[in-house]
Amino acid sequence: MAAIVRISSVCHRGVKPLFYRSSLLSRTLVAQQKDQDCPYPLTARIHGSSSLYAGSVSKAASLHWTGERVVSVLLLALGPAAYYFPGPAVDYSLAAALTLHGHWGIGQVLTDYVHGEPKIKMVNAGLFLLSTVTFAGLCYFNYNDVGICKAVALLWSK
Amino acid sequence: MALLLRTFTRQGTCLFRPQFGILCRHAVPMGTTANEEMNRFWAKNNKLNRPMSPHLTIYKWSMPMMMSITHRGTGVGLSGGISAFALLALVLPGNYPYYLDLIHSLSVGPALLSLAKFGIAFPVSYHTLNGIRHLFWDSGKGFKIPEVYRSGYVVIVLSILTSIAAIAYM
Repeated sequence: MAAIVRISSVCHRGVKPLFYRSSLLSRTLVAQQKDQDCPYPLTARIHGSSSLYAGSVSKAASLHWTGERVVSVLLLALGPAAYYFPGPAVDYSLAAALTLHGHWGIGQVLTDYVHGEPKIKMVNAGLFLLSTVTFAGLCYFNYNDVGICKAVALLWSK
Repeated sequence: MALLLRTFTRQGTCLFRPQFGILCRHAVPMGTTANEEMNRFWAKNNKLNRPMSPHLTIYKWSMPMMMSITHRGTGVGLSGGISAFALLALVLPGNYPYYLDLIHSLSVGPALLSLAKFGIAFPVSYHTLNGIRHLFWDSGKGFKIPEVYRSGYVVIVLSILTSIAAIAYM
């Protein structure tokens, strides 16, 4: 992650425009971050896929990345929400956000350490099963029991 | 971004002749993605039964390294804990207050109780605070090495403080 472009330092428009302007030519400096700034700058042009390519490059990976950050921020917001507004709305939102954040997080861990096509498929299937059961269990707990917010409050009042 | 660039170069596309309106390809396109190349790397090395070079055992551990793996460790631990909780909720008879009273009745001393609370609070607060640090990196900020170390120490100190505060005041 640290090796990724320090775009904001060079392209004064910042990082965000690059996500949204797909068909724009922009010159960026791809630099490696060391103690001092970039000794080996490479000039690169990032083209929108439609302007250059006969086929198109899937945006699945970058959308996944953005989705991960969105869920992270959402989960951050749910913290104080759970403290100040406990109730079923926050309970179910927490169940969803926690499960999804955990699912994607463990997915990254598996991607890092598991290699070989069949093994990757197997562990991902196992993870999917685990996440499904986790979400089901949390929803069941919210519905039939005290709910996540109350559970934490009770646990801490010990 | 990097994937996009490498995909193009691997396809053998000319990026540096903008005066040609059309895409020019080399005679022999090398159409592999980074993912495919990684899989090939692992397949080849596993097939040849090559031992892995020492890495974690020989490289000098740094604070950012330790914080990174701790972030991963707390994440996996918390996720496992949540999954275990959900599984138990589905499988065990009786409701939550019942089991809470059961644990109460074990009458563990206050020291052990605080330790247990710290054991829950610290991973949550560390993972949350370091997660915020990660989000700053994702926005492009704070990559200079002194900044990395400074933000790291802030996260560690705040994690401990908030965990202690959570035990003492809640």
